[in-house]
Amino acid sequence: MAEPTNTPVSRPYSAAVGESSRPQPANLADILERVLDKGIIIAGDIRVNLLDIELLTIKIRLLIVSVDKAQEMGIDWWRNDPMLTTSERGLAEENRELRERIKTLEAGDSPTAASGGTGKGSS
Amino acid sequence: MSESGRYLYAVTRGLEPQQLAGTPGLDGGHLDVVEHLDLCAVVSDVALDEYGEEGLRRNLEHLDWLERVARTHDSVVHAVASVGPTAPLRLATVYLDDEGVRRGLAERCAELDRVLGQVAGRLEWSVKVLAPATPVVSTAERGMSGAEYLRRKKASAEDKEINDALLMDLADKVYEALADGTVASRRLQPQDQRLTGLAGTMLLNAAYLVQDDDGPAFQSHVKSLQAEHHEVSIECQGPWPPYSFAVLEQ
Repeated sequence: MAEPTNTPVSRPYSAAVGESSRPQPANLADILERVLDKGIIIAGDIRVNLLDIELLTIKIRLLIVSVDKAQEMGIDWWRNDPMLTTSERGLAEENRELRERIKTLEAGDSPTAASGGTGKGSS
Repeated sequence: MSESGRYLYAVTRGLEPQQLAGTPGLDGGHLDVVEHLDLCAVVSDVALDEYGEEGLRRNLEHLDWLERVARTHDSVVHAVASVGPTAPLRLATVYLDDEGVRRGLAERCAELDRVLGQVAGRLEWSVKVLAPATPVVSTAERGMSGAEYLRRKKASAEDKEINDALLMDLADKVYEALADGTVASRRLQPQDQRLTGLAGTMLLNAAYLVQDDDGPAFQSHVKSLQAEHHEVSIECQGPWPPYSFAVLEQ
């Protein structure tokens, strides 16, 4: 058992909130991010499978409007899609792909080049 | 009326129940304080058919239910954080009775004490850096040759790549610049566009643990960085209870 530490009584918001220009109600994404992914985990008597919660957040990140639709799309797809895993990796990836496609097209005689470049080449 | 359980919102110290008067718990429940040594757990009654294992599994899949619970949970945590050092619990921590809550506190007593010591007198601020929405520029023009089209496409892809790299660098710089003078900082996963509903790509989603008194200075620091960098949008939100910094070692 730790000794009760001698911390000053804090009055957190009194100072800070007065300065804050925006009155709280935060957007749902920010709240869910914190209450589902952050915060202390203590095992309660009611055991909720954390994996369930994780799946849930993934579904939410997929499409907040429709959890069912997200389920239809499949979870693995999300996990492996760098575009959604982190935005920055997604951008880099997209750029690399674009460059490769352009190189291929420039090299000349790919039969798809004639179509004007709007095709979804996956080579 | 089904059996009820005890839903745990946050752990704090030195809390008098009347300090939370006026803040409703889930489903309008009354907030109570369960103590173990100097630790205070903030709890309220919840119906076990809704918050038991079965119920939670079912309900967590419903966004309306989840939103209501998440917002109430967060508002209770905010209320607790407005009166003392606060360790927010993860959503849906439920015990069968007060004895269970005390047992939970007792098991993690030393760690909870350490965490409360860390966050006492400090609050969390959120900073997001957003890239502007990329305008869809049509590179194709009527009568343009295929070669010209490809040349333009390549040039625009290269510009985009250079631009993206610059923006990422800038986000890193903002993150580090703001960390200066704070107690701790963390990078969170950038949020997906479809979840935020924002047009631009989120380059940085950061959380900072800041001394109470330094909140205004932190906000001005964000403002001055925004004034220097018009190419991105820098948003500062807070203060939050220290969700991202109250962490138990597993």
